[in-house]
Amino acid sequence: MRLGTLSLGLRFWLAALTILLLFPGVVAAAPAGTVVGLNGECFVESGGARSPLKLGQAVQVSDTVDVPASGKLKLRMSDGSVISVAAGSRMTISTYGVNAAGQRENAHLALGQGLLRAVVAPGDRPGSFEVDTAVGAAAVRSTDWFVEVSGGAMQVGVLTGSVDMSSRATGRRITIPAHWGARLEAGRDPVPPRTWSQAEFDAVIARTNVQ
Amino acid sequence: MGGFAKRHRAGTLGVVAALFAACLIAHDGLAYTAAGDRLFPATGILPQISPGDEFYTWGGTTPLAGGGAGARNRTSNFGAVWDKMITERLGIQVEDAWNRLDRRGATALNGFQNFETELKYLAIDDQLHEFLLTLGLNREWGGTGARRIGAARSGAFEPRLYFGKGLGDLDIGYWRPLAVTGQAGYQIGDTTTRPDLVTAGAVLEYSIPYLQSKVQSFDLPEIVRAMTPLTEVALTTPAGRSFGARTTVMVAPGVSYAGPGWEFLVEALLPATRATGALAGVRAQLHLSLDFLFPDTIGRPLFSER
Repeated sequence: MRLGTLSLGLRFWLAALTILLLFPGVVAAAPAGTVVGLNGECFVESGGARSPLKLGQAVQVSDTVDVPASGKLKLRMSDGSVISVAAGSRMTISTYGVNAAGQRENAHLALGQGLLRAVVAPGDRPGSFEVDTAVGAAAVRSTDWFVEVSGGAMQVGVLTGSVDMSSRATGRRITIPAHWGARLEAGRDPVPPRTWSQAEFDAVIARTNVQ
Repeated sequence: MGGFAKRHRAGTLGVVAALFAACLIAHDGLAYTAAGDRLFPATGILPQISPGDEFYTWGGTTPLAGGGAGARNRTSNFGAVWDKMITERLGIQVEDAWNRLDRRGATALNGFQNFETELKYLAIDDQLHEFLLTLGLNREWGGTGARRIGAARSGAFEPRLYFGKGLGDLDIGYWRPLAVTGQAGYQIGDTTTRPDLVTAGAVLEYSIPYLQSKVQSFDLPEIVRAMTPLTEVALTTPAGRSFGARTTVMVAPGVSYAGPGWEFLVEALLPATRATGALAGVRAQLHLSLDFLFPDTIGRPLFSER
């Protein structure tokens, strides 16, 4: 069969397939989220380029957002989850997959340093939203919580729902319920959780509150 | 009697004033059931050192030294405590216990002890130094228990001071998981026929969860990772006229095992004075953290922004 005899529809699909094979980044370019709140100047590092973020701008998988000491950032992700990033934080969107219904299938964020608050929309399976740090990981299904990385340790505080925090070094895992929090230091088991006072929650809420 | 009543009123007013003053001077701590990363496990023969949303129950038995027919040869005790937070720092506790006294060649005696309540206020919670200080006011409600098992007809007030101090802030290597907690009180009887008592207690504990999470993580067996070996010492001694009361000292070495939202404690009961007893007993306790298991319902303080 000569190419000239191909139907229009078949030509279109062949062209689409060629583009997919040659430029796979086009597929991954579906936005993982959108900037819905911004205080001060925040940046995104994408494909080796660093540029200032603007309200309404899309962020993609593999982007790193850099929130300097004078800034705060709020993102609405493609599954409806809202992530507030405090000043002095650096976070990479490692993966963020949603299905056709807009439900999250798999989300991984990497928090290099700083504090973020995640109001996580319900996913279709447990642990589908995970924040990785140098010392451990915290996984949730649907909750409102905080994770902070500082000085070789991470800590998690949970407002609603529950969070599983695990140590990268020992593999030990704890579950942190609502109103509780826990720390994890590098190379060790997680510290058993304890209740957090309202003052402690107020402090992290204030740090992640984007006007 | 008039002098006693006057003394009693003055004492009670003093306690209330002290609690009020503590409320005024308390600084804004950041946690209220633990001092930073230091979690103090539930104690057995001594009261808990801070208010909380918790429920615990225990059973214990101690053989008593012989004697003739009808002499008591074993005492067993089963009890329960429910602790409820009113605010983030103020809690109330209710406690009751059931006793059984076995007798040689005679039927056993049994019945409830006097009902007890206690208000506790967490005055200091220093996360950095793993230190907390709690003020308590215990009330034993006289005549609510069975006299046949020794429950007093008259009640008593007991202002108490509790503390907990972890050694994790000190540069002492593998000794950092050590912690000391303690309690001191003065029990004031409602009537002149009930002796006033000085009560005191201390606990020395070594937290393996703290070792694993704050000092060094060893490849320990699962069961060991959650253990905290501890030893409690409880003392009572009469103050002023004793009315036959004598000094008692009980030493209770044991092990606490913690799971998510619960703790199990088993201890030996070793009497250290003749008035306390002569033979060793055993005690076991199950402690449930309601604020962990039911954080949005019965585990919440009654008045809290949380």
